[in-house]
Amino acid sequence: MKEFFKFFDKFTFLILLMLALIGIVLIYSAAHTSEQSNFTKQLLWLLVAVTAFFVVFKVKTEAIFNLSFVFYVILVVVLVLQIGAGRIISGTKSWIKMGFFYIQVSEFIKIPLALYLAKTLTKFSIIDVRGFIRLMIILGLPFVLIAMQPDMGTAFMLTSFMIFAVILKKIRPVIIIFTLVIITAGALGTWHYVLKPYQQDRIISFLNPEKYKKSTGYQIIQSKIAVGSGGLAGKGYLNGTQSQYKFLPTRHTDFIVSVLGEEFGFLGISFLFLLFFILFYRQFNLKTESDEEFYYVYLFNGLILFQFLVNILMSIGFFPVMGVPLPFVSYGGSSLLAFFIGEAIIFKIKLNTFLNEF
Amino acid sequence: MYIEKRKLSQQEIKRISTVINIFLILIFIVLLFLFWNVQILKNQYYTDLATSNIRKEIEIKAPRGLILDRKRRRLSENKINFNLFVTREYSRNMNRTIKTAAALTRMEPDGIRKAIDKYKGYPKSYSIPVRKDLPLGKVIYIESRSDEFPEFEINIEPARAYPYKEMASHILGYISELTPGELVRKKGYKLGDLIGKSGIEKVYESSLRGTGGVRTVVKDNLGKVREILDEENPTIGGSVILTIDLELQKYIEELFAGHKGTAGVVDLRTGGILAMVSKPNFNPEFFSGPLETEEWLALINDPDKPLHNKFLQGLYLPGSVFKVVMALAALEEKAADTSTISTCFGRVKIYDRYFHCWKRTGHGNMNIYNALKESCNVFFYRLGKKLDIDVIAKYAQMLGLGRETKLDLPNEKKGLFPTKEWKLRELNQKWFPGETISVAIGGGMMYVTPAQVLEMISTVALRGRKPRFHLMEQIEKDGKVVETYKPAFENVPIAGENFEIVIEGLYRVVNDGGTGRAAKIDGLDICGKTGTQLILSLENPNYKQLVKQKRFTPHSWFASFAPRNKPEIAMVIFIENGGDAGAIAAPIARKIYKRIFE
Repeated sequence: MKEFFKFFDKFTFLILLMLALIGIVLIYSAAHTSEQSNFTKQLLWLLVAVTAFFVVFKVKTEAIFNLSFVFYVILVVVLVLQIGAGRIISGTKSWIKMGFFYIQVSEFIKIPLALYLAKTLTKFSIIDVRGFIRLMIILGLPFVLIAMQPDMGTAFMLTSFMIFAVILKKIRPVIIIFTLVIITAGALGTWHYVLKPYQQDRIISFLNPEKYKKSTGYQIIQSKIAVGSGGLAGKGYLNGTQSQYKFLPTRHTDFIVSVLGEEFGFLGISFLFLLFFILFYRQFNLKTESDEEFYYVYLFNGLILFQFLVNILMSIGFFPVMGVPLPFVSYGGSSLLAFFIGEAIIFKIKLNTFLNEF
Repeated sequence: MYIEKRKLSQQEIKRISTVINIFLILIFIVLLFLFWNVQILKNQYYTDLATSNIRKEIEIKAPRGLILDRKRRRLSENKINFNLFVTREYSRNMNRTIKTAAALTRMEPDGIRKAIDKYKGYPKSYSIPVRKDLPLGKVIYIESRSDEFPEFEINIEPARAYPYKEMASHILGYISELTPGELVRKKGYKLGDLIGKSGIEKVYESSLRGTGGVRTVVKDNLGKVREILDEENPTIGGSVILTIDLELQKYIEELFAGHKGTAGVVDLRTGGILAMVSKPNFNPEFFSGPLETEEWLALINDPDKPLHNKFLQGLYLPGSVFKVVMALAALEEKAADTSTISTCFGRVKIYDRYFHCWKRTGHGNMNIYNALKESCNVFFYRLGKKLDIDVIAKYAQMLGLGRETKLDLPNEKKGLFPTKEWKLRELNQKWFPGETISVAIGGGMMYVTPAQVLEMISTVALRGRKPRFHLMEQIEKDGKVVETYKPAFENVPIAGENFEIVIEGLYRVVNDGGTGRAAKIDGLDICGKTGTQLILSLENPNYKQLVKQKRFTPHSWFASFAPRNKPEIAMVIFIENGGDAGAIAAPIARKIYKRIFE
């Protein structure tokens, strides 16, 4: 126990807590005029997430990796069942009700997926065609199921695993060429046969928001106005006109950073970036004992980085509106809980390395 | 355990973490640059956009100015209409809804059912107008029971009120929403604004209309006002004070009950119109607010034309009233004098044709005084033979016939007084001397408005000083007088002694047992001239039969003034299909004089 407190990465954990608390402060600002309960709900979720974080420490790392495939299969099955009989919330079949809370399964599958992919990556030294197909099946199954919900945003986040797999492993050039062809064909196919008109509009409007001012470009424009009008120091807490007067859409979830930008200005944004930079820097540069741990750390942190980038860029119109929450900050219990559990595994890996080195 | 699980070399790990660290630093530099650009460099641009998002300017409509009578009694003012709407979607039981609506509006349930059925094709969520201008008591009743009657909705609408309803409607006119055409022509108006469409409301629109105010507010994205930043108050429009006397106007309208026709009373000292009646009339409040097409069609298709102002727009033959003009023209042109005697045998042969007097048995020897008093046609037929049509036209026009009076009301009709040149130009025909004989007794191709007849008799009363008629006395704004009407007179070049001769004749009409004797009041020297304008020709073989039908009954004229020597009041009475003027129009004039001078 004494060793635990000595070698546990308290500093990084504090950063995680700060991000979540900043989120709660911003959620209050974003939603206090309409849905008061969002703020207290998120506070409760944070308690749940921190508890779960320390529960993970009780489990052996080996067991976590060994069980990853089982969890992966279970969650895939749940996703399949949901397609048929999910509670419909805001047009997507991605939520299941558990007591008072709604659980978003697609958020949780990221953990076993990262673990299982990491394990699989250790099996070969270079990604050849067979290996590539294997990875694609592991990744493609949940991707397709989540996309069918339809939740393109969350599905799109999973592609970060592929990007990082390529960074981590040597890959045959022919596969890259082949993949690019498949992606192009897939993108065109998705555009015509999968995407609903409103989803197409979102992507088009991202390219030219002024033209879609009244419809889908509206969100982007209002978010940019919120961020831009914040200036250096912001308009002050609870004083942002864009968020307080409800011009900013989905401000407690997808556009939470716009609330920060408006009320706390460039300084507030810079502080948030600093926290995230420290988090990424420390979590990418830790010592690991095995390859699968190393891969997992990169895959899971890579996912956070990817989702962070998409969300941030979306708020100033550099990325299409995706419906992707900002990790640790945005409102949403499932997302918060999943990221805390995923991080707990990284913390445990870090702790174990220290303990074993002694 | 450590050995077997570690295949990656330390260099490999080093390579990957170096790549990711460089990548991380680059990402955050780019992100900071992007946000710097949006938040710092383009801050002003986005701040302006954020401000324009929430800052909204709301127009505050200015109350319209009032229209007052000469004693400052309100003839037209502002009010708020409460209109009742029914939404079928919210009704639990349509029969109960209709029954309740009927009880609230005191309308027949069938009428309400019909009104609702007209919207059958509309969605059930459509609010159907059921009743305009609900009494305040009922409004409170419905509003306080909105849970019980979710299907009823009260809509508030600013409107114009005319406290005396139909009274003086042709003077006051009406206001309603401006048309898209007016929107293009008029500056400073928006769609949905109310604008004067006729009467004083139209002529003095610019004075009556106030200046709108602006309220600058903070509105949220749901349109809710969160804060009032600034308020610029509207200024009420100016009040127009009319020369009209409310009581006299009301009295004359009552006298006209059951009649169609018009009357005008003028104050000869100023030219101000004291009363102006045209029957039938309409309720101007009907136009203030959204018009129902059917009601509107019913009004404009009414055969009695209630919107038509007979005083200014009715074109009629003046009949015997024209003999006043004829007498003046003959005296001035020396075609007759006080010693001229003309014998009436009931008819006279001129240009190989018989022209009849209204008195078949004839009037015997007539001088100019008695010819006016008895309204002898033969005397004037003979004057018509002596005078050229163009000469008659000169005097008629001088006295105001066939010319606009320029009274301050819109759409006045000019009428027509024929000349040789006019007939050649318009009909491409030569003037026949026989036509002049008809003109001499106020017939032929001549059309005048009652306003013109009033102007003619006023000019005679004032011995050649033709008054300019007007309705506006004063315009006041914020308690200060902005405009006052200055009386104006135009001199008519006819000798004073000739006016005195004609006035003596007109005096005898009333006071010496003439055709207008029914107007006589002891102690008041009223002078006047009757006119019984036949619809049928006396030569018509079925005259006696047909004249009993209302539509063939002659129109009755009586133009008069008083007192004879210091004239104060002139008036014209015109009753459509009234019959004998002496029996119909003259007694009405008598009552009005009695009212004014007592």
